[in-house]
Amino acid sequence: MTGFSLDPELSRARRIRSRMHLSRSALNLGLGAVGVLWLVPTISLAVFSLRPEGLFDVSGWWHVLTAPTQLTLHNYSALFSQGFAAGGLLDSTLTSLVITLPATLLVTALASLAAYSLVFGNWRGRDVAFLVTVGLIVVPLQVALIPVLELYRSFGSLTGYNPFGTFAGVIIFHVGFGLPFGIFLMRNFYTGIPRDLVEAARIEGAREWTLFRRVVVPLGLPAAAALAVFQFIWVWNDLLVALIFLGGNPHQTLTLFLFDQTRSLAADYWIISTGAMVSIVVPLGVFFAFQRHFVRGLLAGAVK
Amino acid sequence: MSSVTLEGLTKQYPGGVLALDHLSLEIADGEFMCLVGPSGCGKTTALRMICGLEEISAGVVRIGDRVVNDLAARDRDIALVFQSYALYPHMTVFKNMSFGLELRKRPREEINAAVAEAARILDLEALLERKPGQLSGGQRQRVALGRALVRHPSAFLMDEPLSNLDAKLRVQTRAEIARLHRRLGTTMIYVTHDQIEAMTMADRIAVINQGVLEQVGTPRELYEQPRNQFVAGFIGSPAMNFMQLEVVNEAGRHETTRLLGTGIEMQTDQSQAARLRSSGLQHVVLGVRPEHLVLASTNTEYGLVIAARVDVVEFLGNGTSIHARAGEQDLIATIDASEPPAVGDTVLLSAPPRHIHLFDPQSGLSLDPPATP
Repeated sequence: MTGFSLDPELSRARRIRSRMHLSRSALNLGLGAVGVLWLVPTISLAVFSLRPEGLFDVSGWWHVLTAPTQLTLHNYSALFSQGFAAGGLLDSTLTSLVITLPATLLVTALASLAAYSLVFGNWRGRDVAFLVTVGLIVVPLQVALIPVLELYRSFGSLTGYNPFGTFAGVIIFHVGFGLPFGIFLMRNFYTGIPRDLVEAARIEGAREWTLFRRVVVPLGLPAAAALAVFQFIWVWNDLLVALIFLGGNPHQTLTLFLFDQTRSLAADYWIISTGAMVSIVVPLGVFFAFQRHFVRGLLAGAVK
Repeated sequence: MSSVTLEGLTKQYPGGVLALDHLSLEIADGEFMCLVGPSGCGKTTALRMICGLEEISAGVVRIGDRVVNDLAARDRDIALVFQSYALYPHMTVFKNMSFGLELRKRPREEINAAVAEAARILDLEALLERKPGQLSGGQRQRVALGRALVRHPSAFLMDEPLSNLDAKLRVQTRAEIARLHRRLGTTMIYVTHDQIEAMTMADRIAVINQGVLEQVGTPRELYEQPRNQFVAGFIGSPAMNFMQLEVVNEAGRHETTRLLGTGIEMQTDQSQAARLRSSGLQHVVLGVRPEHLVLASTNTEYGLVIAARVDVVEFLGNGTSIHARAGEQDLIATIDASEPPAVGDTVLLSAPPRHIHLFDPQSGLSLDPPATP
């Protein structure tokens, strides 16, 4: 008796499962196709940088599929062999790092401190201060170019040190424009930290600095990682600020280096593709290093 | 270890809301004091002011001989166990417990010894390397207790520490906390809205309602001699039955005083009669606990008799709870009946005068004689 009712049930379950299996592989296939589509420009860039210079005008990059032997590291060795001469690829990479790393670390650190004070501090006007900060997010940085140049000039005439044309000048500008969003992000994350935790630490004897360093910062790591990645990529890819505030400096950022190659009438595509690859690798590395935290940071606060 | 003294402790919020109104309370060294009251009554506010987490609007908090009003929380030498446990999620159980001692720059050996001791008492030794996320609710609760006791504070403060546990674990942990208190002998101030927790653990209970201290006393005092209708209704479960009755004084050879309501009659004893007469009240609120009502077959000469129709019968195993109606009056009686009445039956419920509480209907104050020490 039971056999009759059981069998159709079983085969039905099996049918449903196989149908689900099928639809899942279809989904995976579709996603894979989209992924490849997205990757094609990057792949073509990589191939450009690995093909001999002369082939550029002769055949499309996809010819590499039939003649893989044409791939060579010559472009890289040619650019790297220049060493750290000012204006070269390696020097530009270094310059980009020297500007991006402090700008990222400073924004992350200062935004965390500011957010701590906004959330756990006890002073009048915290809400107003936060609202003003949020308002600053929408200020386009172009608006500030001339005022900041003026500011640097008058600072220079007062102290004898004009940040214009120096790395510091670029870093300060990036920090200033990174902070509003950074504070916004960190503050929103910190408000999710249970107040009880902070109060428990206070009762146990923690002063503000200990509380910040031992309790709030470790709990805020996901948000800090997300902010660091955002800020790193933003500063790394910046051209406008570097172009204006690094004026006259023999060392240039990677974006400026690439920009210089396109200015002349005959662009050196082999240099551009190779330089572009180098400029992609660093932020990719940063992203993968922080990926785990980054995803958690984006999701943080969504649940609960 | 120290006593904790509150003198006229008041909290007024900027909006004008009075959360706590002149709370004065002396908690002796080593005493287990429960602050109990409905949610929003100000009991947690009081606790937070003792800790230093909430600013004191007026009044004095003394721990031992020290006035601590202007001391930061970290300098008050107290430990607080939070309702949410408030464990640091990024630290191991060991770190959670040692954190406070580390901040106080105690030597390594002392910290290790203190944590080991607390872990042994609370049966946490196997869990020291885990993170709070890997613990069950009961284990987290024990870590929170452990974190409080490694510091050997002069007083433990607890804010509803059991309310996140399931019923069975709550009973267990209740006993564990009581045992812990007996063992350590440290002053304990325990906030709860659950009068059963308060009754079972406390040496004394302070009942707070709407920011005002209603009564302080031992669990037995509060149960047997509530000062007013609020305390009478708050302590005990199920809650005391209240009914407003008319006072009828009958002159005769024997002066008698009866209380009357629909289906309810109360023959007062001599002392109750005397107090009712001297109060001159026309109406009075009678209170009787469900567990003091019994099924009666005949009228008892002195005491309360209620004729009521049974609405709901709840079999509890160790007794039977009857919800009944006498006129417009709802009643609950917990009776010990092998043959409980059926729904729809009319039953006679009675109680002797010594289990009857009388309250002034206007002020809510008890008319019962003050406690004889």
